[in-house]
Amino acid sequence: MKALLSLGLALAAALQPWTLRAADPIPNRPEKLAFPPLRFEPPNPADYRVALSSGLIAYLVPNRELPLVQITVLVRTGKYVEPEGKEGLSSLAGYLLSRGGAGSRDAQQLDERLDFLAAQLSTSVAETQGSASLNLLTKDLDEGLSILRDVLASPRFQEDRLTLRREQLLQEMRQRNDDSSSIEARERLFLAYGDAFWASKQSTSNAVTSITRADLETFHRRWFHPANFVVAASGDFDRQDMSARLEKLFAQWPFQGDKALPVPGDGRMSPPGAYLVDKDVNQGRVLIFLPGITRENPDFFPVTVMNDILGGGGFTSRIMNRVRSDEGLAYSAFSSFTGGVYYPLQFIAGFQSKSRTVTYAASIVLDEMSKMARELVGEDELETSRRSFIDTFPRSFANKAQVASIFAQDEFTGRYQKEPDYWKQYRNRIAKVTTDDVRRVAGRYLDTNQVRILIVGQREEILKGHPDHAVRLDQLAGGKVNHVPLRDPLTMKPVAAP
Amino acid sequence: MRPLRPLRETNLDQPHAKVAKVAKEGKDGIHESIIAASEKLTVPPKWCSLAAVISMAKLPFRAGSLPTSRSFSLALLLTLLLTAPHAFAQKVPVIEKTLSNGMRLLMLERRDSPTISGGWVVHVGSSNERPGITGIAHLFEHMMFKGSPHIGTKDAAKDREIMEEQERVRSLMREEEAKMRTAYRRGEIDDLLKPENQTARYKELATEFKKLLDAQRELLVKNEFDRIYTTAGASGMNASTSADVTVYFITVPANKMELWMWMESERLLRPVFREFYAERDVVYEERRMRTESTPLGKFQEALESMFWESHPYQWPVIGWPSDIASISKEEADAFFATYYAPQNITLVLVGDFDSAPAETLAERYFGRIPRGKTKPPEVVTLEVKQQAEKRMYAEAEANPQVDMLWKTVPFGHRDSYVLGVLSQLMSTRTGRLYKGLVLGSKVATDTYAYQDSRKWAGLFNVGGEASEGRKPEEVEAAIEAELDKLRHERVPDEELQKVKNNFAAGEYRKLASNSSILMQLLFYDGLGNWREINEAGPRYQAVTSEDIQNAVRKYFTKENRTVAVYTRKPGAAPSGDESSLTPEQLPILRQMTSALQQEKDSGKLQQRLKEIEERMGKTDPKNQPLLKLYRKRIEQRLAELQKP
Repeated sequence: MKALLSLGLALAAALQPWTLRAADPIPNRPEKLAFPPLRFEPPNPADYRVALSSGLIAYLVPNRELPLVQITVLVRTGKYVEPEGKEGLSSLAGYLLSRGGAGSRDAQQLDERLDFLAAQLSTSVAETQGSASLNLLTKDLDEGLSILRDVLASPRFQEDRLTLRREQLLQEMRQRNDDSSSIEARERLFLAYGDAFWASKQSTSNAVTSITRADLETFHRRWFHPANFVVAASGDFDRQDMSARLEKLFAQWPFQGDKALPVPGDGRMSPPGAYLVDKDVNQGRVLIFLPGITRENPDFFPVTVMNDILGGGGFTSRIMNRVRSDEGLAYSAFSSFTGGVYYPLQFIAGFQSKSRTVTYAASIVLDEMSKMARELVGEDELETSRRSFIDTFPRSFANKAQVASIFAQDEFTGRYQKEPDYWKQYRNRIAKVTTDDVRRVAGRYLDTNQVRILIVGQREEILKGHPDHAVRLDQLAGGKVNHVPLRDPLTMKPVAAP
Repeated sequence: MRPLRPLRETNLDQPHAKVAKVAKEGKDGIHESIIAASEKLTVPPKWCSLAAVISMAKLPFRAGSLPTSRSFSLALLLTLLLTAPHAFAQKVPVIEKTLSNGMRLLMLERRDSPTISGGWVVHVGSSNERPGITGIAHLFEHMMFKGSPHIGTKDAAKDREIMEEQERVRSLMREEEAKMRTAYRRGEIDDLLKPENQTARYKELATEFKKLLDAQRELLVKNEFDRIYTTAGASGMNASTSADVTVYFITVPANKMELWMWMESERLLRPVFREFYAERDVVYEERRMRTESTPLGKFQEALESMFWESHPYQWPVIGWPSDIASISKEEADAFFATYYAPQNITLVLVGDFDSAPAETLAERYFGRIPRGKTKPPEVVTLEVKQQAEKRMYAEAEANPQVDMLWKTVPFGHRDSYVLGVLSQLMSTRTGRLYKGLVLGSKVATDTYAYQDSRKWAGLFNVGGEASEGRKPEEVEAAIEAELDKLRHERVPDEELQKVKNNFAAGEYRKLASNSSILMQLLFYDGLGNWREINEAGPRYQAVTSEDIQNAVRKYFTKENRTVAVYTRKPGAAPSGDESSLTPEQLPILRQMTSALQQEKDSGKLQQRLKEIEERMGKTDPKNQPLLKLYRKRIEQRLAELQKP
């Protein structure tokens, strides 16, 4: 045994991914190190895809390492289906699905049983997707799946839990103007989409108080049925066995339900200019916006690389380097340019800086944006960005739960149908991006004359600017500085500041 | 719901927050949860039989996982037997080594993904500081990314010369700062940081210093350390400073182990703290972001300061602003020499590699670092026994809430496991607090309970948000009532079992990814014992109902208690009923409400109410809402004054 053991270890050592050069001195630059190649192929979604007889698609990714199972059910619903006057209905229903009793158990019994099994069950509905997630020990799979079925098919929406949740939501609302980051998170939606768009609608005390149990039941029965589900399952199971269990789980649904609705995408960005919300905190929060793209836009890959160089890449990015490293004006400084799934999102650059340097820091960000549009980036910068995307790629598939999740999302958003080999092609498409591409898309999308700048902070101090830097806010924003009033936390109606 | 958690900060400092870069469509690609050391839900699971282990090994190697260049061979099968995945369920098979210079190395082989999560922990935190240099450990964490003679500059020799010159100017500036501090004490200036308060000589020197900075910047290769790693496909690089430890971590592709060795040993062997003084500006912005511009940050800082009397935990990890401004590079160098010594550091590697060659590589690279000359001093100051209850009343931009703290025990203490079980028992949706205060009496809309077992001392934190119309003191009373039950009645077996089941499941959940295991090992080692990842489990399972009763009786006394009561600052933001007012009326109401808060005479208030009634009928309808609200405010004030 011992001889075999040392043979095994020796063989294992021989397969080391690096070369030991015991005699060589340590090089004075890391570029002089040599690494063996790492070949990585992303998993193939078709290998995990199962079509159940109820019409539902599931991705099953077994992993026997730990005695845990993770099942996530994605649901085709979201905030976008909420009727006027019932803002908050979808998230309330999503939350209460698993917190208001289900099947034969009341809320208390359900909570207690789940906790006793140390099972984690949570349900929610967000912007464009609902989700039910169950994580539990393998030994409890039978019971867990039966509970999941109850929660998805027969939630009770107990009245006392609805009352409690309403009060908790009102408590959250009361805090809406306490933190400048919450104000920013809300106002950015109004700026990006306008008040009328579904994504910027805010729940109010009236809306929440008007939501009844009947509303929750109607919402549930419309959207929570197998034709609207996509499932991701990973963990300690055998594929065939789990397939059979899921068949049973979704068979003979007690009601019909509606076909999922498309997600509307008709938001309207506010006109260019600065938008200033007065809040008495010594650090101003800034977000700079421009209209963006969907992920299917042919510019998506050049845009992704361009953004990485500009401000998405952390400490290797230009915005971080200038605003934080050079000038010490911010702790966090970034840009983001994600492609929307259903409608175009935005280009956003942001940072937080003490009041007197808000304008100066913003001018630096705008400067970097124009530079991207005018001058080619360096080949080394481009290479850093491309290599980073390519060589961190395996990490997206680092564990089985992630694999199941990525594929289920692709199924849900329709990407699998359109481009089943998207991940296979991903790195090639990144590798093809050139410095010309980067400049071209920067020129196309980063028009600094069209920026909308959202600022939350001490208005007077911010407008004073800094004695060492001559730039003024109205110079950056095409001359227009709009004073945005705070909104009443419960009604979301604008209120003039004192 | 965001309940107040003032003392739970392991201060997850993220100067280098990076996320693995896969196409981001509205959300980040990867979320690697960082498990704080104190969130240890560990319990040993059922033992796997050897037969089960062997049958695991017979499955196709890495069923369903990603293909690599390794081939499946008998020899490999045998090595697999020794490191079969389900063996994790018993004990995490960490390999521990010590290098020739005293630096320790922990390794865990794990083949889930072709990556290696690597990091190191220095056994130093803000509790090792002293007044005058608070914040230095955290500032250091920032400085460790600035490079070395080879990384970050085009000309190491010139860079060094400029830095020496900068130090000379800086020490002259410190003389001026001393003069400014004297002026401040005499009330001649109000704020040391304002440019208008600087002496003329200081301004001169500052200009000279800036010239030197510009000269250094010419030679700078910006953020080269990051850039090298990024180009190599590394991700998740970050660091964190707490009161007890400083940790640095990153994930690299599995074929880049030697790069990790090179980079990390380089920055430990010969770091260069360039841009030292400029980095303080970044730390100031960080302080503003976390402490000064959030609704509760400054109160949390004050509470922590009040809670600890003798112990260094009393100052914030980020440091007092006046200290941050005064720290010199000389002090930083001394700090580094004392604490960043090999015998005070542990390297940790988790992922797709083999331990024997990794150890050889580690010795080669890190063995170069000379052993520290002095033994880093321990924190010897013990927290004194609290003599009396302490209370704090804060008016904040927050919902009314109460936060309560008791001094308990540190990491590794036998009672820390009892208190860990107690926190689980009290918190969660089926816990005592939620059932009693949120579902039951409805005095609160949210609650929490938490044992914080730090390295040198510990605390237990309980709190809750008051329901609309209820006072924080009522929540406090309800919490005390729950504690009283625990004091006098033993916890039923089934309830205790429920809690232990969660620890048992946690034993598996904690092994979800390389990086989460890395974080646990880093923090446990920093706190004093990496074996906690395996040893805590049985200790949690061994806790009895009697243990819990004894602990509640022992630690949750009135004298040992510190309480912070938060009420909503009046007039800070428009509340629901003010939306009926016009922009002109609102400030008037605010002023009137402010004045009311000072009025203690109920008689006067009653009189005012009468006056309003008389005027109501005669007032212009436009002003009626204003009067109505004012009347309401008076009634509220009267009710307050009438409370005992």
